[in-house]
Formats: sequence, structure tokens, C-alpha cells
Amino acid sequence: MAKNVSELPLTSKLSRRSVLKGAAGAAAVGSLGGAFPMPALAEETTWTLANSLRSVANPYHATFAKGGEDFAKSIGARYEVLVTEGNSEKGIADIKALLQRTGGKLILNVDPNDSPDARVIVEEVQKAGGFVVTQWNKPDDLHPWDHNPNYVAHMSFDGVPTAEAIANELFKAFGGEGGIVALGGILSNVPAIERKLGLDNAIAKTNGKVTLLDFQPADWNEQKAFEITQAWITRFGDQIKGVFAANDGMGMGALEALRQNGLAGKVPVVGIDGIDAALAAIEAGEFAGTVAWDPLWTGGMGLAIPYAHVTGKIDITKEPKEHREFYGTGIIVTKDTVADYKANPPKVDFNDLWGKATGQIQYRS
Amino acid sequence: MAAIAVERGQMLGHWRRWAPVAVLLGLCLVVGLINPSFFSFGNAVRMLNTAAIPLVVCMGATFVILMGSIDLSVEGTIALCAVAASMLVTNDLTGVTIGLWSVPAAILLGGALGLLNGLVHVKLRIPSFMATLGIGFAGIGIATAILGGVMVRIADTDFRNWLSLGRLFGIPAAVWIAGIAVLAAWVIQERTRIGRWIYAIGTDEQTARNSGIPVERTRILIFGVAGLFYGLAGALSAAQIGRGHALIAQDRLFTAITAVVVGGTALSGGVGSVLNSVIGVFIVIVLANGMVLMGIEPYVQKGVQGILIIAAVALALDRSRLDVVK
Repeated sequence: MAKNVSELPLTSKLSRRSVLKGAAGAAAVGSLGGAFPMPALAEETTWTLANSLRSVANPYHATFAKGGEDFAKSIGARYEVLVTEGNSEKGIADIKALLQRTGGKLILNVDPNDSPDARVIVEEVQKAGGFVVTQWNKPDDLHPWDHNPNYVAHMSFDGVPTAEAIANELFKAFGGEGGIVALGGILSNVPAIERKLGLDNAIAKTNGKVTLLDFQPADWNEQKAFEITQAWITRFGDQIKGVFAANDGMGMGALEALRQNGLAGKVPVVGIDGIDAALAAIEAGEFAGTVAWDPLWTGGMGLAIPYAHVTGKIDITKEPKEHREFYGTGIIVTKDTVADYKANPPKVDFNDLWGKATGQIQYRS
Repeated sequence: MAAIAVERGQMLGHWRRWAPVAVLLGLCLVVGLINPSFFSFGNAVRMLNTAAIPLVVCMGATFVILMGSIDLSVEGTIALCAVAASMLVTNDLTGVTIGLWSVPAAILLGGALGLLNGLVHVKLRIPSFMATLGIGFAGIGIATAILGGVMVRIADTDFRNWLSLGRLFGIPAAVWIAGIAVLAAWVIQERTRIGRWIYAIGTDEQTARNSGIPVERTRILIFGVAGLFYGLAGALSAAQIGRGHALIAQDRLFTAITAVVVGGTALSGGVGSVLNSVIGVFIVIVLANGMVLMGIEPYVQKGVQGILIIAAVALALDRSRLDVVK
């Protein structure tokens, strides 16, 4: 816990660290790309496709990168993965370099490291004549239709109803009455705020039947979640009827803390993201549920939509606003649906551009 | 007059040696007064369990810091060893199953990475800060490249029981293993030549060299020894969480260095001991545990932690040997 304090005076060191880490990651990805050359396909395109993301070390972004690769293969395009490693400057610099290298013939699907980055990225891409789709993070006043046609779309997932739905699954799992504890993400992150709001909504709707014993931010960190849950077991003991985690990683940390105390499977846990380990925990009856985001779809569709525009299949400037800023579909996976979900993983149809979109993005503040 | 001054200086020095212990006891008392369940047997076991992996990490980190160097490869080494260990037991990714032999394998891998740290640092004359930073990133990079973002799930119940979940006299296996690691570190520090050389090198490298201590060889070896501890921590991490992935050691580095320093080991080298670090780890763990038990607002927690850590270091630091504070 104390490390958070020691981070403060080390900010400059941290950023240097991130840069180096990014370089190592980029080198690793580069070497992998060299090891598996893409098969030559008949339908070649002069456009370069790229997904920009935080790190291929986490399952969500690894699958997001794979989604982009799948689409690029389907049209025989050159595909690159840019990794920010949590460093905004590196993220933007890499994109600028790629724009330079491709002479602007770039289709970019980017999960900006931080909201303000989106504006810089959109402006750079527009200046160079490329096309960009953003994911999750952007300033509220930055809209695709204000940067026609180059800023094609923004995709996100609505954290509020999702968190509310998964919280309800948790309540159901312990009979709808009692106390829960909740692990949140980094306090300033938009998804963390939305998911907390969703949880609060769900609790409010139980009319006092479910109470929130304590809420602690574990900063998306599995180890921290483990430690906090251990302390909760001391503080609340068997008052804890369920654990809500704002992502699966923290949920796994909480589950392992419960296991250390012989409580795994007795106190249900829910998470969000739909990682493999969470699905396995649902099958084992230890998780009450998770929300799968379908990153294969966001990873591919963020390229497929701009590609449809540049090949003349659609004119993005004529599309309605709910096709420019839209939510994807989170899939609630529980004990009842996990077998079906694993047997029929969500399919991605690159020709069905908005098939999985669920409405225009709402701005709450 | 002079005699009194000397005596006072000695007394102060004496008190300072025990300052971390006093801080720890004071902290326990405050938390226990606000929430008496802090003193329950169950909570003691849970805190020991949480402390197990940081303890093992800190044993290695203390040796390096005692030499006046720093080891930033902690997270990379642990991650790579954890991933290696999880791929060597029954798992959902590889067909290899060598069971508990994966533990010595992880420890040796950690030792090899540590030696590499030492060699790069000493032979290429790169400051330990940069050398270990580089090796650490390489470790995470390799772990990422091996896994490509997926996680290895461990299905070997023996491995998990022997290293984490199993209990002896009500105490989890990880705690016993950490205890053995602390004992081993203490023996290295007190009963071996190399243990004494660490202090000599940390206090004054030139004098150590003049008195015939093989400084270079000792440095390389100590980085190797530190790596052995990180390797063990890697295996323990994998067993605790039941998975191996590249980010498994996130934040371990800062916990380790904070605990070592709060325990009273000076970053300038030569002062401190592995037992100090044991106290340091418990200060950090009790603090984190206490924040939740006392129900302190998340927004206030970090501030309180910061103040307490500065206070702990201020009490424990012996300034008489510090000519310049950098």
C-alpha cells in the first residue's frame, strides 16, 4: 500500500521506466511479427491498418489487437500494433511516425491512453489525411462529425447499466439480502466512475436490503484486491455476502483471498471484462458472473468501418450520429449462460458494421 | 561534558536501532484500539499470509541495498519466474508437468537473471539502477512475448497446496516458506564471509578493496543471491493467485524498497539488516491492513500512509553518518 506514496516523488523516473518498458514491448511485438509473416493474399490494399493500445500483456488488449489482425488478414492489408505502455507521449509519437511512414494512408483504431490524447490524435490523423476510430476515452466535446470525414467514429461500452446488471446477478447469488464489499478501479478513470455509479444504482433499488459495507479502490490491481479483501474478512467476517469487483483482475485477487480463508464458492464474486480465468471461476461456482466486452469485435470493427468508407461502400459523413458515437454490447455471463457462451463465442461479421451497436453514447456530466 | 554527550549519542543510537520496532508496535496499538479484531488470531494469520511474498522479495532487496546498490529488476524477475513456474506445472497452456520441481527451477531462473544483473552492472560498469531497470523490462517483455497477453492457469493442486493454500498448525504454507527464506537470509548475513563483505562494500568500497575483499565478484554474487529470492517469490506468487501472467508482480518493487527503507536500512549502504526489513515489511502490511480495519476514507489513505512512512524513516535514520543528503 505504501508504494503509492513513494510513487509521488518518482514521477519522472516512472515515465522513463514506461518509455523503456514500451520500447521492450514494441521490440517483442516487432520480433513476433517477423516470426509469423502474413500470407500473401490476392486482394491487396495500399492502406496500412493499425491498432494502438496500452499493452499486449493484458488479455483485453491482446484480444483487441487480434481482432484488428483478423480484419487486416481478411482484406490482405498490412497491419501494425502500436503499444503505449501507459505513456501518452509514446502513444502519440508512434502514431505520428506511422502517419509519416505511410504518407497518411493509414486507418487507425486507437484506445487513447488518456482522454485528452484523443484530440491530438484525431487532429494529426486529419492533417495527414488518414482515418481514425477511437475507443473508450475521448473528451466529451470532441465529436467525429466535427472532423469529417477523417474522424470516423468513437466506440465505447456503457459502464453504468452494465455494472448495475452484474451487481444484480451478485445480489441474486446470495439471496438478495445482506452486506457486500466493492473493489473499484483508479478513482479518476471514467470506467471506474461509471461502474461505481451502476453499483450504487443497483444497491439503491434494493430499498436497503443490500448494504455496501465498504468500498475501496484497488486500482485495477489483483494483488491490491487480494490484500484489501483479506482485511475485509477480518473487519466484517461473515457479514460479507458478496464481493463486487469493477474488473475481473481485481475479482480474481478477491477470490484468491477468499480461497485462503476457505470462503471460495461460499461468498460469490462478480467482475467485469470476461477474461478466461473469470469464465473458469463461473464454471467452478466461485464467480457469480462477469461481463464480456467482445474486444475481438471492437478490435476489428474499428478498422472495418473506416475501410468501408475509403472503399466507397458507405459514406461516413451521411451516417446518423448513432453510427458515429455508439456503445457496443456487453454480454452478461453467469452460471446459466457460461457453457453456451463458451460453446458459441460471439462471432464477428466484418460486413455487419453496426450489428452489435446498442445506441448513441450518453454524456452524464 | 564530553562524556555525557557521547553517552547521549550512544543512547540515541541505541534507540534508533529499535525505532522501527517501536513504530510497528505503536501502529499495532493504534489500529487495535480502534478495531479490536486486529488482534484476533485470524487477522494475524491473514497479515502473515499477505506479508509472505513481500518478505521473500525484501530479503533479496536488502542485500543489494546494503551494498549501496539498488535492484529495480524485482518485478520483471518475479514475473518471468512466475510465468515459468506456471508453465512447468499442470496447466492449460503447455504439456510440461514437473510438479514441485518447478520451484527450484523458478529459483534458479531468478538466480540466473540476478547474476546477469550483476554481470551487466559490474563488467559493463553500468550503474545498478540502469542495469537492473533494463533487465527488469526485458523480463516483463519476455514474459509478455511468451504468453502474448493470455494467462496460464495452474491446475496443479499439489503445487498450490505446498506453496500457498496448505496449512501447518493453522499457518499457511507460504508463511512457513517465507520464514525459511528469512532464516536463510539471516544465516547468509551473519554466518558467511560474503555476508560480512556486503557491509564492508556498502560502508566504503575503496577500503573494502584495499583490505583484499573481491568486490566485483561479491557484487555479482549478491545480485545472484537476490535473484534466487525473487525466483522463489515468483513461484509463491503463481501459487497464491493460481495463475501466471506478465503483470503478476505489479507494484511489488515499490513495496519492497519502501519496506526495506522503513525498516531502517539506509539506501546509502552499509547500515541495516535483513531483520530490519522483516520489521519494515510488517510496518507496511499493518499500515495497509489498518487502513481498511479503521475504515479510513480511500481519499485520505494515501496521505496518511505518506506521513507515517516519512515519520518512520525520520525516526530510524541515523544521521550521524550522513555527510550529505542526496
